[in-house]
Amino acid sequence: MNRGLEIHAVSRTFYTENGTVVPALDGVSFDAPAGQITALLGPSGCGKSSLLNIIAGFDAPDAGEVRFAGVPMGRADSHCSMVFQTPALFAWLTVAQNVEFGLKRKKLPRTEREKAVSGMLRLVGLDGFALAYPDELSGGMQQRAALARALVLRPELLLMDEPFAALDAQMREKMQDLLLELQRTLGQTILFVTHDIEEALRISSQVVVLSSRPGRVADTIPLPPAMDDAARTACRARIRAALAES
Amino acid sequence: MKRWKFDPLALVLPALMVVLWYFASASGLLPAYKLPSPGGLLRVLADFATGVLGITPYSGTMLPHLLCSLRRVVCGFVIATACGLTLGFATGLSPLLRRLFDPLIHVIRAVPGVGWLPVAIVWFGVGEGNTLFLISLAAFFPIYVNTAHAAATVPEQLIKAGKMMDAHGLTLFRTVIFPASFPEVAVGLRLGLGVAWAYLVLGEVTGVATGLGAVMNDGRMLGHVDIVLAAMIVIAAAGKLTDLLLLAACRAYCPQMRKRRGRK
Repeated sequence: MNRGLEIHAVSRTFYTENGTVVPALDGVSFDAPAGQITALLGPSGCGKSSLLNIIAGFDAPDAGEVRFAGVPMGRADSHCSMVFQTPALFAWLTVAQNVEFGLKRKKLPRTEREKAVSGMLRLVGLDGFALAYPDELSGGMQQRAALARALVLRPELLLMDEPFAALDAQMREKMQDLLLELQRTLGQTILFVTHDIEEALRISSQVVVLSSRPGRVADTIPLPPAMDDAARTACRARIRAALAES
Repeated sequence: MKRWKFDPLALVLPALMVVLWYFASASGLLPAYKLPSPGGLLRVLADFATGVLGITPYSGTMLPHLLCSLRRVVCGFVIATACGLTLGFATGLSPLLRRLFDPLIHVIRAVPGVGWLPVAIVWFGVGEGNTLFLISLAAFFPIYVNTAHAAATVPEQLIKAGKMMDAHGLTLFRTVIFPASFPEVAVGLRLGLGVAWAYLVLGEVTGVATGLGAVMNDGRMLGHVDIVLAAMIVIAAAGKLTDLLLLAACRAYCPQMRKRRGRK
């Protein structure tokens, strides 16, 4: 049974050019269970992005370790994918070519690639826009394309850094529904960074609250799968309390 | 979307100038030794190209001179591109290499191209060598500066995205960094080509035997201002044509460049 993402006592300090010391993370520990969505909630500056960089393999912690399925995380590659607040699509490629990018690097034959790409585009509702260029799409569609590009490689771990923050409320809700559906179908382990409590309550099965400067785990709140209003209010209050003390 | 857009307003001023010029020449206000009449210049130009009228010593010699100049420009541009792209990507992507090379390159850049002429003549003599040197040197800088800047400003998230899709090292460069940099690199290439044409003339007026610049120099010394102007026109046309070809090549590689107009 996959042990999921295990973060153990991760610390990271940055030293800026003029000599200031920025303690970004201090002994952060939590587990994100396999096959579920864990929300990482916290105010700006709590080191969420630094933590994601370390998990993805773009940075190394000063102390502590990160394991996935019992194995320490190495440098960045396709076992872990990340979706950012900006879609970061390649502007010189069409939507289909963007989604195909990782598959080409894996040297998959063309027919298989085309099948995977068209299947993925259908899943995110972009089949019809395969030949469009990113700058011809709306923000929501671009994020869907970015999601498709990340998921087509079936990464074991998906990191999402406030991916829907730049979208309007209606689009955000649609994307949250899409994410839930994709997760049900594909079963990824997802770490979802957000500063929106309602979003966390809506999509995740566990909320990890980080305090800021330096980032520490203030609380870890499991969310039962079927919550009635009372349970939801209780969780919301607990999250708020954890945020308040940071 | 139409490829060749033609704006009639662009013709108004040139047409006005030609009309004024015609009357200035016809009335004798403008002596022929300073500026030939429009008709005269057209005749010389036609003769330069085709040789049918035989009115100047350069009758029909346009093509060999043009090809000679074109060869120099292309060679110099290719050398400048090879050096500019290599050093540009090197210093743009590696902070260490930037610290090593960039200050020196910018110091050399501060010397205006014309200032290199005496040294170029001493090192390469008068002729092919020094013309090529001047052209390559001058065209190198816009290519280098644009490439280095483009490489250094590729958005970090694009690079991260590429790495998470298993593109590392040379593959990352080929599939992410180079295409992302290309629009700005193309700007550098076009500037470099324009500068190459400018320094072609400088190199050629120092005393090579063939080439459009040589024709201009020769014509001036013999008092044939009409052939000087005719050569200038041919250089302008050739410069514009090579620019269009370069632009077409860039757009062929990166179709997205065509779409950059008319966006939000």
